[in-house]
Amino acid sequence: MQKNYPNFKVLFYVLAMTLTSLGVFAQNNITVKGTVISSSGEKLPGVSIALQNSSKGSTTDQDGKFSIEADGKGTLVFSFVGFQTQTVSINGRTQISVSLTETDRTLDEIVVVGYGQQTRKSLTSSISTITAKDLNRGAISDPTQLLQGKVAGLNITKSGDPNGRPSIILRGASTLREGDASQPLFVIDGVVGADLATVAPDDIMAMDVLKDAAATSIYGSRAANGVIIITTNRPKDGQTFASYKSYIASETVSNTIDMMSGDQLRSYLTKNGKSLGPADDTGANTNWQDVVAQRGFSQNHNVSFGGGNKSTNYNASINYFKQDGIIKSSSLDRLIGRLSIEQYALNDKLKMGLTLATTQSNSGIVPFQDVLLINRLRYLPTVSPFNTDGTYYENLARSNYYNPSGIIDNATVTSNSKTFLANFRATLKLPAGFSYDVSATVQNNQTNGTQFYNDYYTTNYNNIAFTTNYTVIGGRNGLAVRNTYENTNTLFENYITYNKAFGKHNVNVIAGYSWQQTLNGDGFQANNTNFPTNDTQANFLGLGNSQAVSGFVVDYGGNNYSKLRLISDYARLNYSYAGKYFIQGSVRRDGSSAFGANNRWGYFPSVSAAWGIDGENFMKNQNVFSELKMRLSYGQTGNSLGFNPLVSLLRYGNVGTFLVNGATLSAIGVVQNPNPDLRWEKTAMSNIGLDFGILKNKITGTLDLYSKTTTDLIWTYDVDPSVYLFRQLTANAGEMSNKGIELTLNYTPVKTQNFTWTTSINMAHNRNILVSLKGEGLQADSLLIAAPNGGGQTGSTVQVLLSGQPVGQFYTFQYAGRNEAGVSQFTSSKGGTTLVPLNKNDYFLAGNAQPKLLLGWNNTIAYKQFDLNFFFRAVLGHQIMNTVRADFNRPQEAGSYNVLVETGDEPIGDFNSFRYSDRYIESGSFLRLDNATLGYTVKTKKNYIKNLRFYLSGNNIFVLTKYKGIDPEVNMGGLTPGVDWTRFGNGFYPKTRTFMFGVNVGF
Amino acid sequence: MKKIKYILSSFAMLLLVSCHDLEVPVENALTSANFPIRTEHFIQASGPTYTNFRGSIALSYWFLQSLTSDESILPARGGNWYDGARYFQLHQHNWNPDNGQIGGTWNWITGTITTINQNLAVVETAPESPAKQQGLAELKAMRAIAYWVMLDLWGNVPLLTKFGITEKPTTTPRKDIFAFVEKEILEAIPNLSSDVSAATYGRPTKFVGYALLAKLYINAEVYIGQKRYDDVVKMCDNIISSKKYALESNFAKVFDIDNGPQIKETIFAVPFDNISGGQFLARYYLHRAMRAKFEIPFTPSGAISIQEEFLTNFNEPNDVRAKMLLQGKQFLSTGAPIIVKTTKRGFNQDYREADAATPIDYHLELVPKLEYRNLASFDLGNDEKAWAQGFRYAKFFPDKTSTTRNQGNDFPFFRYSDVMLMKAEAIMRGAAATAGDTPLALVNTLRKIRTASELQTLTLDELYAERGREFCNENWRRNDMIRFGKFEGKWGLKTDTDPNKRLFPIPRNILNINPQLTQNPGY
Repeated sequence: MQKNYPNFKVLFYVLAMTLTSLGVFAQNNITVKGTVISSSGEKLPGVSIALQNSSKGSTTDQDGKFSIEADGKGTLVFSFVGFQTQTVSINGRTQISVSLTETDRTLDEIVVVGYGQQTRKSLTSSISTITAKDLNRGAISDPTQLLQGKVAGLNITKSGDPNGRPSIILRGASTLREGDASQPLFVIDGVVGADLATVAPDDIMAMDVLKDAAATSIYGSRAANGVIIITTNRPKDGQTFASYKSYIASETVSNTIDMMSGDQLRSYLTKNGKSLGPADDTGANTNWQDVVAQRGFSQNHNVSFGGGNKSTNYNASINYFKQDGIIKSSSLDRLIGRLSIEQYALNDKLKMGLTLATTQSNSGIVPFQDVLLINRLRYLPTVSPFNTDGTYYENLARSNYYNPSGIIDNATVTSNSKTFLANFRATLKLPAGFSYDVSATVQNNQTNGTQFYNDYYTTNYNNIAFTTNYTVIGGRNGLAVRNTYENTNTLFENYITYNKAFGKHNVNVIAGYSWQQTLNGDGFQANNTNFPTNDTQANFLGLGNSQAVSGFVVDYGGNNYSKLRLISDYARLNYSYAGKYFIQGSVRRDGSSAFGANNRWGYFPSVSAAWGIDGENFMKNQNVFSELKMRLSYGQTGNSLGFNPLVSLLRYGNVGTFLVNGATLSAIGVVQNPNPDLRWEKTAMSNIGLDFGILKNKITGTLDLYSKTTTDLIWTYDVDPSVYLFRQLTANAGEMSNKGIELTLNYTPVKTQNFTWTTSINMAHNRNILVSLKGEGLQADSLLIAAPNGGGQTGSTVQVLLSGQPVGQFYTFQYAGRNEAGVSQFTSSKGGTTLVPLNKNDYFLAGNAQPKLLLGWNNTIAYKQFDLNFFFRAVLGHQIMNTVRADFNRPQEAGSYNVLVETGDEPIGDFNSFRYSDRYIESGSFLRLDNATLGYTVKTKKNYIKNLRFYLSGNNIFVLTKYKGIDPEVNMGGLTPGVDWTRFGNGFYPKTRTFMFGVNVGF
Repeated sequence: MKKIKYILSSFAMLLLVSCHDLEVPVENALTSANFPIRTEHFIQASGPTYTNFRGSIALSYWFLQSLTSDESILPARGGNWYDGARYFQLHQHNWNPDNGQIGGTWNWITGTITTINQNLAVVETAPESPAKQQGLAELKAMRAIAYWVMLDLWGNVPLLTKFGITEKPTTTPRKDIFAFVEKEILEAIPNLSSDVSAATYGRPTKFVGYALLAKLYINAEVYIGQKRYDDVVKMCDNIISSKKYALESNFAKVFDIDNGPQIKETIFAVPFDNISGGQFLARYYLHRAMRAKFEIPFTPSGAISIQEEFLTNFNEPNDVRAKMLLQGKQFLSTGAPIIVKTTKRGFNQDYREADAATPIDYHLELVPKLEYRNLASFDLGNDEKAWAQGFRYAKFFPDKTSTTRNQGNDFPFFRYSDVMLMKAEAIMRGAAATAGDTPLALVNTLRKIRTASELQTLTLDELYAERGREFCNENWRRNDMIRFGKFEGKWGLKTDTDPNKRLFPIPRNILNINPQLTQNPGY
């Protein structure tokens, strides 16, 4: 066993020793029978009956009858959806009949918290729970999209790219870094940091969003962006189930950019005394946006089943999902298998569980997507994709101007990913209210990428480049690239829980330890060129002959290998008195190997309290509030992701070659400034919340106010090259604050036997401020960022990081109309206007990308066997820099590239029309009918088919907005939110509109 | 009691299960722990000096030395290449501290100096040997060259000679930078190699040191107001008398894609291959319809041309240096004309007749004059006429062996002809002649091998013109213009006469980071 791993041998002794203490509990079994009815006397089938503190359970049959073998001194727990749970002591009886009371009391629902669960009533923190029935519907591959718009304060945006990942921001950004560093922590069935790819949306029973620091700080260093806990379907005690869920969906491009048609362009040019070169006009009217688009079909099949007996229960599911992207050549198909088994032993004192999940996904990726997305707009509509002889039309005299069909057809880019997760867990009940939990998880992800650019590319497109880094493809007679990388995450957790009630006092204490090691990027890349055929694609790398191509150098890929270890100790105390007063305190001590030796350990404490006001005597005589609870919390979390774990060290790497004695040697130079002083980025949050129910819970709601401050922001910025060895430094610099208010209201206006209407609305307002920017090597109070790099505008930026302003603050030229000659002019910092504004000198602050209000409104209507759900979502009060519109509004280039229809109204002589300025800053507010679903449940014979439901559903049915781009929902994460990029990574992959038909069958 | 014992032992065990070791071994990186250790590490550790210096020598540094002079110009064409007026500013001499090319050049050269300081610190820890002394001398000579660049462009700059100093530097006056460069190179020369061969190609030799000193002294009047012309002659003679260099009869070969140690004229060159990148000048100077002519793997963007006024320097068509001009009607290597299919209006966007859409086959013809469609935006327009304006200078010949736009032509820094012309100039400016060389004889020796006619007399202006011809596009024009008092003249759209423009401003973001630095006057 390797020295650095926790000592599993010792763990074995712990288990062995504690097991020997269990012999003292003897039992005395009898069979208890009975009937369960509702308060109105109806027989209730399907009610769960569980013997407390055991795995034993049963359910009622069609007539509400049950039978269970139990200890005569035990207690039975009767639970059923929509009814209050009832506990009944057996006291040696063999006949027990129970009447369950219907409930709307939201406070009784079970909420999953870190390392345990609580009833909502006892929560002292801010947690939103969304159960399966309220999760979003649609052809969704990524589970986080199920939450979009459903949780106050959670802002999720995603493009239509089937392989794109959503950006998720909870209560405003807590970091300036992107990627993993800005993602919430996911906990799937208790596995901290589990990969979302291992769970199919269909298998999700509930998602709990932990919002305030009192809830998240038990997860310490990974919880700065909030925690989302996912619970998958599992059989209720003693039940068996099987279900099949399936849908087919059709996706189309929801919106296109209004570019000129061939005829529009010709007449615009003629009108303005210009014309196309003969090579640029084949008489065609090609809509390139249509040429590269396709109708994307999706299908999803999910079979799940589960069951169990007294000592074992299991559930399993298999899910197949296939989605074609709406841009040709993009696709995703995915197979997820999931198996979970729980076994009781040692007279029910020991529960062991094993979960295995495996995912295989195959992604088709658009080759040179950035270049394609630009060219499908700017390529002249006056030419056909193909010449009369069937070859691709090209005009290579313009740089980075390539036939969009050629870009797609002549290359194949794929990424195949396999994820495997194995989790073992055990809970051991110890005497005197103690229990011991252990969990060990290994998660392995392997990604194989292939790229093949055929000889058409290497002949005609060999200077094709991502504008960001000028990666040219090089080579001759085809270029093939293969890479394979593996990520392995090993996690070990154990904790002890103490739970005891003393009269009105309730105490729950946990103390635990966690060890996690993540190894990412373990693998390599290779490429080859000069293939005798295109037919073998990237499947036979060795067939190429790169030696014959002068100057070709095999690209083995970058140094992606990184190993990070996180070790934590944590403890939490919950105390409640009389079900009215609740306090919680927790502390987590986290160590991360990413920091220098002096700053590795951080402490993340939290305290919180809640007061169940409705339980007080003075509330007994009012009938407005049926529930009322106040919560107060404060806590801290940290973040150590999103930068190289070796950041504290001086790192060297190859920095090119140089000549020594006539031979070429690798120059080895510094590639990373050392920062041994890097500290934890810490986020502190305080929260005041109110949970209430009014008019016998006809209206329930939650109100939260929070203030969140992130200090010691870690990010990578440019430093003075005369002092630092490397031009960038990763360091702590600056402070950011978010303050906001969130309100959720649920209302049931109508509830009768045949007709029910429930509606819920959530609203959130957040104010983001960059408090300061100071840090090592960075004394500035402002930094220009977000350079869209449109043609002729290299070096212009449109945003600024400025103390006192939010992230996403626009800072650009101020449009001042046109002069008499019809040329756009801009406000000059020296007063008056100018035709030639200077970068920076003539920039002005101009709005920001932070929304003022996020809103979600959900409605569910049930009428007999029909159910209808519709869901509106709105984001209001923010601005977007529409660089797409600026970049294609170039009347002067109309003969060489296509222009917007809108450009038809621009004076042809306006050489300034496209300059980034506040002219292109538009309101991003929108209201979207995100989803409408109509379902019909067929009455079935319960013996064979328990339930059968058909539904029709539409996504993104309409959007109301003044925004002129493709969609106002642009990427809102990272350093430069709210820029609708033409060129960079998160380009403008179009949004989709989806219609689907589905069926759910339960057996 | 028994229970409690078990519970306590469980807790104790729980603590034992926990391990708190955060020392993750470094498995994938060169760090201070494993580099530099071997002998070759110390050689490799000096490599970043050279790769860094290569970075912008043919990019932003080239822009600052050439586009600010009367030599080259990069106008906008239909908004393309406007880029926030960065090139327009260089042309008009109205740049500000936010100009991207000035910032880029500063970052390049200060980054190179920091790298050299770090490389020096590493090599100093190597075991003692003659090779170590030579290595240290080479790095110090490179640092002197880098500081000469800063002396020339900014004059007053922070002087950093040690690595790892964290306090922010202040500005050192130009005269002290001058003294530093002089002292450093004089100290380095004894340990530099006097071998001129492939073994020392691309790295400083004794002769590189002499050439740098000659360049320093010939500009001493500009830099520090002192005449050091006798020292120029002395340094030039050190090189000439070594007989290790000679003028090449094939001028084009000096700059071709396979130039290297075999070129007898090259005293110091920055080596490029067509893989690493950093040199792709043909991208800038070739017309976009010339891809086939030069059989290159990319479509050039054809934006930089020679300024019309400068063409008067190429007054003899038989001069090999004039033959590098791409001018007039253009033909493929097969002799077939380069035809651009366009229309009357596609050729001239202002054409207003009814037959504007009539297709024409336009035989590409480069014309010397730039005709601005829009003076305010430095814009020639976006038609075939505009793109064909301005003669191009194909000194660094396009690289058809490349699979990308990167070229393999090494970029000369000091050439033998520069030494000859510096000696001639120094004598004309008052130095005593040596070895029987007269300025006229030196210039005529050069002109003869360049197939230009012999001059009968020589004035300083004629020498200035000779330098213009000889070093066109080799990063010397701005330096020459300042020394010959021509930098405040008028050319193209430039009317500025502010002598403060002889020095560039310290970039604003650098002043933001280090407010202790002093901005140059006039900014």
